[in-house]
Amino acid sequence: MAGKASHVSKSNRLKFIIGGGLFLVAVVFMVISATRATAEFFMTVGELQGSDGDLVGQNLRISGAVIGDSIQYDTGTGQLAFFIAHIPGDQDEIRDAGGLSYVLHRAVTDPDNPRLRILYQGAPPDMLRDEAQAILTGTLNPEGDFIAEELLLKCPSKYEEALPNQVEN
Amino acid sequence: MIPILGYVTLALAFLLTVYGLMAAVMGLVNKSAAWTESARLALLLIFPLMTISVVTLIALLVNQRFDVSFVYSVTNLEMPLYLRVTALWGGQSGSLLFWSWLLAGFSLFFAVRKWQDAADLLPWTLIVVFFTLGFFLMLNVFMESPFERFWHLPDGSQALSVLQPAGAWPITPQDGQGLNPLLRHPGMIWHPPALYLGFVGFIIPFALAVGTLASGRRDLRWFEIARPWTLITWVFLSLGLVLGMRWAYDILGWGGYWGWDPVEIAALMPWLSATAFIHTNIMQRRNNAFRLWNLVLIILTFVLIIFGTFITRSGMLSSVHAFAGSEIGLPMFIFTALLSLGSLGLLIYRWSEFQTGYEPEFGFSKEVLTLFTNLVLLSILVVCFLGVIYPIISELLTDTQITVGPAWYKRILGPLLILLLLLVGICPLAAWSGTNLGRLKKRLWVLLPLSLLGPVAMGVFGGVRHWVVLVALWLVCFSILVIISDYLQKVSIAKLRTQEGLLSAIGAPIRRNHRRYGGVLVHLGIVLMSIGIIGIEGLQQETQVTLALGESVEIQGYTIRFEGLEHFDVGEGIFITEAVLTLNRGGKPVGALYPQREIYLNMGMAITQPGLRSNLAGDLYAVLIDWRPITQDEATFRIFYNPLVSWLWVGTGVLTIGVVVAILPDSFRRKKRFVP
Repeated sequence: MAGKASHVSKSNRLKFIIGGGLFLVAVVFMVISATRATAEFFMTVGELQGSDGDLVGQNLRISGAVIGDSIQYDTGTGQLAFFIAHIPGDQDEIRDAGGLSYVLHRAVTDPDNPRLRILYQGAPPDMLRDEAQAILTGTLNPEGDFIAEELLLKCPSKYEEALPNQVEN
Repeated sequence: MIPILGYVTLALAFLLTVYGLMAAVMGLVNKSAAWTESARLALLLIFPLMTISVVTLIALLVNQRFDVSFVYSVTNLEMPLYLRVTALWGGQSGSLLFWSWLLAGFSLFFAVRKWQDAADLLPWTLIVVFFTLGFFLMLNVFMESPFERFWHLPDGSQALSVLQPAGAWPITPQDGQGLNPLLRHPGMIWHPPALYLGFVGFIIPFALAVGTLASGRRDLRWFEIARPWTLITWVFLSLGLVLGMRWAYDILGWGGYWGWDPVEIAALMPWLSATAFIHTNIMQRRNNAFRLWNLVLIILTFVLIIFGTFITRSGMLSSVHAFAGSEIGLPMFIFTALLSLGSLGLLIYRWSEFQTGYEPEFGFSKEVLTLFTNLVLLSILVVCFLGVIYPIISELLTDTQITVGPAWYKRILGPLLILLLLLVGICPLAAWSGTNLGRLKKRLWVLLPLSLLGPVAMGVFGGVRHWVVLVALWLVCFSILVIISDYLQKVSIAKLRTQEGLLSAIGAPIRRNHRRYGGVLVHLGIVLMSIGIIGIEGLQQETQVTLALGESVEIQGYTIRFEGLEHFDVGEGIFITEAVLTLNRGGKPVGALYPQREIYLNMGMAITQPGLRSNLAGDLYAVLIDWRPITQDEATFRIFYNPLVSWLWVGTGVLTIGVVVAILPDSFRRKKRFVP
């Protein structure tokens, strides 16, 4: 079975190296071009408001707390608009500040917290409600509104709180 | 005292893994068969003990023991029985227990098998099994126990503990929080168990691979033992992935089934490396080639599974599927690192010893195509991995987190998937160690023009204009024709050679070489699945309309008419609003769509259930978005037309049958060969 194994010619190996090499170069090229075209910068609402307009048109990804009262949906045009409030971008920071649900609650109730207007062409998702964490991708328009192309709401599927608050009642 | 029974059996199982690990090491160090035997017997006990623990937890869930924190968090009084049982894997600690239990089930294989033919592999495989099992049981016993109860402490505070703290009295909530409505779906029954089986089953080839490396045994015995289990596990992983897609398609209401979410990718990565492994393994059996490479691939697969579990369960990545942040992140990271570094060290240690020096000749042969397939599969894997860790790396290097999304994956992986389709198609045309190109030309003269009929028909009658879609459809037609013509050729040879009747000859190729034709069926399944993917990626149509009562809209030859809204109070705090959309095609009524919105008052959540009409040509998929609250004479819908998507599910069925054919015992063909 292994008879051919001993017969190794240099030009044969070269063909494999060239063929495989060309393929890998093509893949690397595709990765670089796709990254240039579609990669998104992750920013918080606070960081975004601190910038001076140089981010307009750049692909962005933003996380924030949904302000329930601000949700407006126009069935005629199919446009959804709402505000999100700044929350820290770092997981550890959120944990140190008292956990995600507490941070979201504080973000929405604090009137001094930076806010950002979100515009989205499409129906309100099921999980869009007050104090939900929204993760949005899209771009900033010159007016400073965020045009969301994709709307991800943090799934509350695993809300495993250590102790129920209402246990006593 | 039921929670304590569950906890004690779990703790006993953990102690047995500690003992078993020690005994297996002793057996190895002292070359003592008695110690190894003792370790094997310890392994025999772990699964029954864990079964008691799992049954206990199910009993707590079914009996609504809300004083147990896990039961409180995943069930409530309103949930039906089947959901209370499946809530076992509805939260972190319970699903971890379920995972460990399945792992123990597969590990039982090592305890039950007779090892006379591979006694040298046993001590090492036992060490790997005990180490892995011990780790997960440790998490369950010390960090994520599903048996903890609520207690009131004498100082007025509350605590979670399995055992009663001194002076404390139990707290029994009246009702639980209940499972997330998204998880209250029949998909919950099948998807997680299939996926988990598809993950933990790889413990068998992985432990044997480490065993053969560590013991220095260079033959293929380890894989012959692991082969059926590897294929069964692979098919469960495939089914787990597809069932997840189906579930997302049925309930998430965005018209698709795959969102390039990090957790989805984490489950796809081991599938890719395992698929590469299955392919190069055939080469090792034929040419004694790629001995080392195969070991690398199976080790990579298992490490990726543990890595995927780590990123899903540690709360490290934000994802729809991920569990909430948890303390088990650090130990899981350490375990993943230990497993990877240990295997890597072992591979380096045996590198020169296990090399085969085999090199196929460059040309149009099955060997070269298999190698190329490996390269493509692993490139996809590397791209996926890069996408998952991109945010983490970019944050370390540039201080700004840069993420990549579906558009990034589609741009890179689209061409690679089309390349894979091409490879599947031309594979049966190549022969092992070289191909007779003259004969190939003759076949291509028939097959190429014939295969063009498909895309031409789609272009002319289906109105498909996108050239990438047409190329992909052409590859599908070509692949199917090649597979069928190849099979028919083998049937006619069998008919001539043995003068069998036609019916018997049709089964003859499978009887002669069920491993090969099982593989061919799997390829056919993949080709059929890709029809569904091409349909939704390339041809999906989407529109949003607001319809007044009695108004209709035209989509893909269907007239869709809004007939009204209905409301149901199904009890249990769930209210359903259902729209009725009747369908007409060519003036004839052809059924109706019933998109729903389910509102879970108790949880303040709403779920969108699409109305679906599905056939092999395509799916009409309607989502109810909004309606006029008082008059109800107007409602807004998003309507998708998803062409060909059903082929994804059909292909999955064919793929499963193919694996079943491939793992039939070889005696199946020997017996049949002598049938007169």
